[in-house]
Amino acid sequence: MNDGSGGNQRRTRFQALCQSLRPDLLRFAFWLCRDRALAEDVVQESLLRAWKAQDSLLDESAAKPWLLTIVRRECARTFERKRVVTVDVDELVAKEEPMLAAAEEQDLGELRAALFKLPVEYREPLVLQVLMGYSTAEIARELDLSGPAVLTRLFRARNRLRAAMGEEISAEAEE
Amino acid sequence: MDHARYRMLIGADPRSSDPELREHRESCRECQLYTERLLRFESRLERALRVDVRAQTHRPASWRWMAMAASVLLGVVVAAGIWAVLPGASLAADVVAHMREEPQAWRRTDVAVPDAELNDILRESNLRLGAAAGIVSYASSCAFRGHQVPHLVVQTPSGPVTVMVLVHESVSRLTQFDEQGYRGTIVPMPGHGSIAVLMQNPGAAQARDLQRIAAQVRASIVWTR
Repeated sequence: MNDGSGGNQRRTRFQALCQSLRPDLLRFAFWLCRDRALAEDVVQESLLRAWKAQDSLLDESAAKPWLLTIVRRECARTFERKRVVTVDVDELVAKEEPMLAAAEEQDLGELRAALFKLPVEYREPLVLQVLMGYSTAEIARELDLSGPAVLTRLFRARNRLRAAMGEEISAEAEE
Repeated sequence: MDHARYRMLIGADPRSSDPELREHRESCRECQLYTERLLRFESRLERALRVDVRAQTHRPASWRWMAMAASVLLGVVVAAGIWAVLPGASLAADVVAHMREEPQAWRRTDVAVPDAELNDILRESNLRLGAAAGIVSYASSCAFRGHQVPHLVVQTPSGPVTVMVLVHESVSRLTQFDEQGYRGTIVPMPGHGSIAVLMQNPGAAQARDLQRIAAQVRASIVWTR
């Protein structure tokens, strides 16, 4: 067993890294799962998986995309296990009202509800781009899509949200 | 590039700094206005996605997470102790923590936040920004230590620089910090709190520019009250 002080230091750094990235991971999981409690479980399980596989992270600066990929896969596994067949989005919105409400800006709550109603194929690239700062090429790599397919999804996602928020989009940008 | 192509591409990535998009935008007033509308929506979208995950937890953490957390605790306590003895360090820590919450703000772009939107955000803190500050590519009113504060990203030749105007945080002297990949400075603004100016993962040359940029930003702030 080789567990010298170098290994301990590395593990301590890894733990600190996971802790500092946890809010981002939780936010990402929340928008994928649309369920706060489930998102917490997914992130917890993902961090345990990451902990066990930490030796495969060779470059610490790549920790965030590495962890996001683990969270994404864990989300998919969770939904496979749960075998969720139908989802009533209005029920999800009502259940997560405390998370979606925005006391400071009333229409943010409405926009968050619209995000909940966005199909996952649009929601996921949008969250990666806007919240996680991914480029189109990075999203394409993560989701195994072509660049043009990512652009189309991002464009449609925004159009749907703007339409849901009552903005006029038909004349200025057709899908 | 025609209008339809421009609107598709900018609709997919409103903060894109693609030179072809910029060229079209600069030659087409309609598409300029279209982009401004998109950017206004984009700011709302960014705020909407940034849900507060520190809010109530729904269930206690399991033993496995607690075991992991316990082993982290000692390190955190030691780090917090060291941090606490440094003057102004806890304010710097909170600023850095806030930066980590908004990674999307750091994108390198030449697309400016529309003036009306920027002015609305700055007005809440009774200030405006002179043109000398540079291109403001991101502006948001953020909750910080119980107050709404302007969080701006200014594009400079040394890369994107974040500015937080902290009118409620008075500091007695200028402090510098280097933490978790962020190099920053907190500059006193007598009678108006302080400003925090940060760079993310700067190279040595960029880091040397920090104080000059901070001074430039400080000089471009005009207090309206």
